Amino acid sequence: MGAEPAPRIRPVPLRMRLEPLSENAVERIHRAALEVLRRTGMHVRSERLVRALGEAGADVDADQLRVRFAPELVEEAIARAPSSYLLAGRDPACDITLDGTHSYLTLDGCASELVDLTTGERRPSTKADLEAATRMADAVPEVTIIWQPVAARDAPTRVQPLHETHAQLTNTSKHIQQMTAIDPDNARGVVEMARIVAGGEPELRERPIVSAFQCTLSPLTIDGDPLEAALVYAEAGIPCGWVSMPLSTATAPTTPAGSVVLTNAELLGAIAAVQLLAPGAPTFYGVCTSTMDLNSGSIACGWGPEENLFSLACGQLARRYHIPSELGVFGTGAKTQDWQAGAQHMLSGFTSYLAGGDMLCATGTIYAGRVFAFEQVLLDSELVDIIHALEDGMSVSDEDLAVDVIDDVGPGGHFLAHEHTLRNMRRNWLPRYFDRATWEEWEAAGRPSPRDRARERARRILDEHHPDPLPGDVEAELLRVIAAHEG
Amino acid sequence: MDEKIAALREALYALDDQAAVGITRELIDGGLEPQRVLQEGLAEAMLEIGRRWNAGDVFLPEVVAAAEIFKRCNEIVEPALIEAGGHTLGHRVVMATVKGDLHDLGKNMVGAMMKTAGFQVHDLGKDVPTERIVEAVREMEPTIVGLSSLLTTTVPEQRVVIQALEEAGLRGRVKIMVGGAPVTEDWAAEIGADGFAPNAPEAVKVALRLAGSERPEA
Amino acid sequence: MTARQTADVARPASGTPSRIDGLPLRPTDVLPDATIERIQAGSLRILERVGVEVRSADMIRRLDAAGARGDADEGRVRFPPEVVEEALARAPHSYVLAARDPACDLTLDGTRGFLTVDGNAAEILDLGTGVRRASTKEDLAQITRVADGLSQIGFVWQPVAARDTPLPVQPLHELHAQFTNTSKHIQLMTAVNAEQARGAVEIAAIVAGGEDELRARPILSAFQTSLSPLTYDGPALEAAVVYAEAGVPSGFVAMPISCATAPASRAAALVQSNAEILAGIASLELLVPGAPTFYGACGTVMDLRTGAATCGGPEDLLFQMAGAQLARRYGLPSSIGTNATGSKTADWQAGVENALSVMASWLGGADMLCGAGLLYGARVYSIAQLLLDAELFDLVRAMTDGVGDTDEDLALDVIEEVGPGGHYLAQAHTLRNMRSQWQSRFFGRDPWEDWEAAGRPGPSDRARARAVAILAEHHPAPLPDGVEEQILEVIAAYGR
Repeated sequence: MGAEPAPRIRPVPLRMRLEPLSENAVERIHRAALEVLRRTGMHVRSERLVRALGEAGADVDADQLRVRFAPELVEEAIARAPSSYLLAGRDPACDITLDGTHSYLTLDGCASELVDLTTGERRPSTKADLEAATRMADAVPEVTIIWQPVAARDAPTRVQPLHETHAQLTNTSKHIQQMTAIDPDNARGVVEMARIVAGGEPELRERPIVSAFQCTLSPLTIDGDPLEAALVYAEAGIPCGWVSMPLSTATAPTTPAGSVVLTNAELLGAIAAVQLLAPGAPTFYGVCTSTMDLNSGSIACGWGPEENLFSLACGQLARRYHIPSELGVFGTGAKTQDWQAGAQHMLSGFTSYLAGGDMLCATGTIYAGRVFAFEQVLLDSELVDIIHALEDGMSVSDEDLAVDVIDDVGPGGHFLAHEHTLRNMRRNWLPRYFDRATWEEWEAAGRPSPRDRARERARRILDEHHPDPLPGDVEAELLRVIAAHEG
Repeated sequence: MDEKIAALREALYALDDQAAVGITRELIDGGLEPQRVLQEGLAEAMLEIGRRWNAGDVFLPEVVAAAEIFKRCNEIVEPALIEAGGHTLGHRVVMATVKGDLHDLGKNMVGAMMKTAGFQVHDLGKDVPTERIVEAVREMEPTIVGLSSLLTTTVPEQRVVIQALEEAGLRGRVKIMVGGAPVTEDWAAEIGADGFAPNAPEAVKVALRLAGSERPEA
Repeated sequence: MTARQTADVARPASGTPSRIDGLPLRPTDVLPDATIERIQAGSLRILERVGVEVRSADMIRRLDAAGARGDADEGRVRFPPEVVEEALARAPHSYVLAARDPACDLTLDGTRGFLTVDGNAAEILDLGTGVRRASTKEDLAQITRVADGLSQIGFVWQPVAARDTPLPVQPLHELHAQFTNTSKHIQLMTAVNAEQARGAVEIAAIVAGGEDELRARPILSAFQTSLSPLTYDGPALEAAVVYAEAGVPSGFVAMPISCATAPASRAAALVQSNAEILAGIASLELLVPGAPTFYGACGTVMDLRTGAATCGGPEDLLFQMAGAQLARRYGLPSSIGTNATGSKTADWQAGVENALSVMASWLGGADMLCGAGLLYGARVYSIAQLLLDAELFDLVRAMTDGVGDTDEDLALDVIEEVGPGGHYLAQAHTLRNMRSQWQSRFFGRDPWEDWEAAGRPGPSDRARARAVAILAEHHPAPLPDGVEEQILEVIAAYGR
């Protein structure tokens, strides 16, 4: 046990990487996306914004609300987006700089249900659940960016995003990424609340304790409200990314390259649109492309090779654009933490890491992202811990190589009690949730599962962990903002 | 004639849009009873496609493709059918994505699958105001109304639609099904819906149960 | 109902095994050059300074005569670096593991990796009852038959020991069970002395149709394991020589347990493992120059509380990848422990460990991935687990298809035609291409409500059902008339 306290966040160093696309293939996909934007363009559902984009140089059809972008316009616009910036935490120990050297794990987003920690049953989520989930994530160092893991479904619909923001600002001092304020009014509310907590407008601009993202509607559609919301954030200096989440075979072509082209086109289009109207606004390139079950039409999340390839390929594209990326699917279609969940989470998590995204989404859900589970966050943290251990690689100092020790023990001996072993054995990885009991112990204990252990630990964290409190009257002001937006 | 009708079915199985439309037009222009074209040609083919989907030989995209061809052929048949005084087949289903919600993929899949079970589907589209749904129920007298929403913020609208139908005195005349990612069995029960389905194939099963008939299985 | 499986190969006529799915390799070096060079240098120092204990004075003398530095009194053989290098230079870089059915021949040349069923567990989970019990020859026969029917399995080890057969001829009984239940390549791990090796060679020659035929098309390979740390049983080396003289590829596998039979630091464990494997290979090449051989690494870490092998932690993954990297540097085919899990059941932990292990062996570039089906730190075999492991192998294999970028793949015209807000479901392009999507056999895809109603079935339930179905339907290619009798005669002769 070291004397220093454990770090509040554990970013994963990006060293190992996998790039399935050749350079040539990357170029082809890039050019194909530009062609889509030039020829087909995007449907932007706002007359005002279509007009504004036309004035900014896009090729618009006001009647059809269609916006087309010439390739040079896209390239120029993209180049304006900053390639690195700060995502601040209320607690500076949780600050994040997106600079391509590390990957930051996010909490998953906006499940509509969760697995009750007490009963183990699935039920709709509430604001109280969001508070608890946020508070627990505040205590788990592997989680570095806090999305809204569940929807506050018992809050008034109109201001639900503001209730969610309130729940989070009061329950974590890590960086918050707001994904549910998808209209300008709620975005303004989020900005107001963030300013109150940050201490003012210039303070928030300098240290954005909140970032956000909007989603495109696949295929090739941007709704007016989300785009307006993005502009509100841009004005306030709050980084606002774009996430494309087409369903291959349904809202994107069924071929993997086709899905990547479509994803890429949507992101380039949306990012370019904002850069044209608010040059230099910090943003990111977010990918959540998944496959469709061919039989039932359901979404198959984190399912198999295709999703993993989407992450890897989009990672390569994002690097080409020098924009921070948010990639990956740490996902499973399983309905409980069984073998399938373990395999799918590990494969999708590991390939997401190998994809090299700045932000790695996203932990905490099962059933294709629809159901949140407290224990899932902890189980995923085990996987991230393994990746960390892999990243540590192998040091080769003399102590490590231990040639003298090998000589000392000699053929047929053993190392159990050797000083070198006693000195070094604790460096080996120890699981938190994997079971290492003997078979007999395991049977006798009733075959406990990693999930059981994780659930226990989640309960303990919720009992013991208290986030950094907000200063005295700040919370009251936050509630005033919500009330004002409600009225 | 029988040969031609068989050829129409084959065109649907082959997902050959041009051939199907061509043969349909030929049959209608040639004076064959529109009822027969609809029943033995189009509807029968959709039922068979449903059987093949059930057996795992045909996938959902193929079902949707067939449904789109069906729709185009039906556009030729229906006017002739109405003129001849015949009645359309199958229970009517009105579908809509509720107000404020732009997601319609799931609804489209359900609509396609419903056609394979012999339902007549009227899709009102997405972001549909409640009043329009009420009006459609009044006009078309469907057996089933299907409501879809994908966002937790628009799901409550499903309850609003049911209440509006109650107030209009129409609730008792239809069965209501709800669906969409945040929708669960519990929610359906809570708002007084008659059925819930987590995906398109399940929706067909529920719809058949609500309409009181069984899918004719092979 | 299930969607058609793209992993389903064209239904083979009963009696022919499925074709083999190899894993296309694009190795990544997990350790930087500087690191791996230090490790290699460390191993050479150990081999020169410490050597290995060889438990046979005769073998020591032979090795000494052949160029190593043997000391029969001390019981040690040391290998100067030049000797090691020369030995490595003699070993073939690539060769074929042949099979009774030539459609199952495997070329070990670094371009494809092949999965095998894993090794010699003493217990098995009964397929019917789920109860853990000692393994039998019949179990071995059954598992082999299932493996014969899975396209993901390239070749077979002895997944379980035939514990109900007499020990001295147990390996020969195992060969009998396997030659009669698969026409894929067989790799024997349990013949650990010259006598047993001779019996194995005799049996293989009978099946191959003669000694020359066996040499030309080795339908059998084998390996010996070191005894960590740094020890070889004399008889084991003698067995290796017997194999080599018959033209049967004979590899060397190290299975050290860090903190117990290897040092606690990762680098040192690797140094030792590497030294042990090189010692075996060098010995073989000194005695039978040019003998086909391979580099086998299967290291793990000890559980600090119980002393058991953990199997499946991050150190293991590093050992896997580094082992493959070393083999590549030496120009040798590699055999890398894969899929290992410490879990006692096919649960979340097993899923995690299985998945990451396959990725690691793939990234590392393993020619042979060993292997599918083991639980509980390689102590208990499970046929359901075999199928689950094969599924993950299949998933990773599908990933290696990568992202094609032809015009058809890019689908620009389709994107334009569908346009904003449309959908792709009914597009001809979709219908044409959608069946390339990977299909799972065992992942659950039913809606939550159906799953609850059915009592929460899991992947193992599905795997078990499929295993039962395979056992009911699949029949391996039979041996030619009279061959089985001859095999039994050999066993009887060796049993006397």
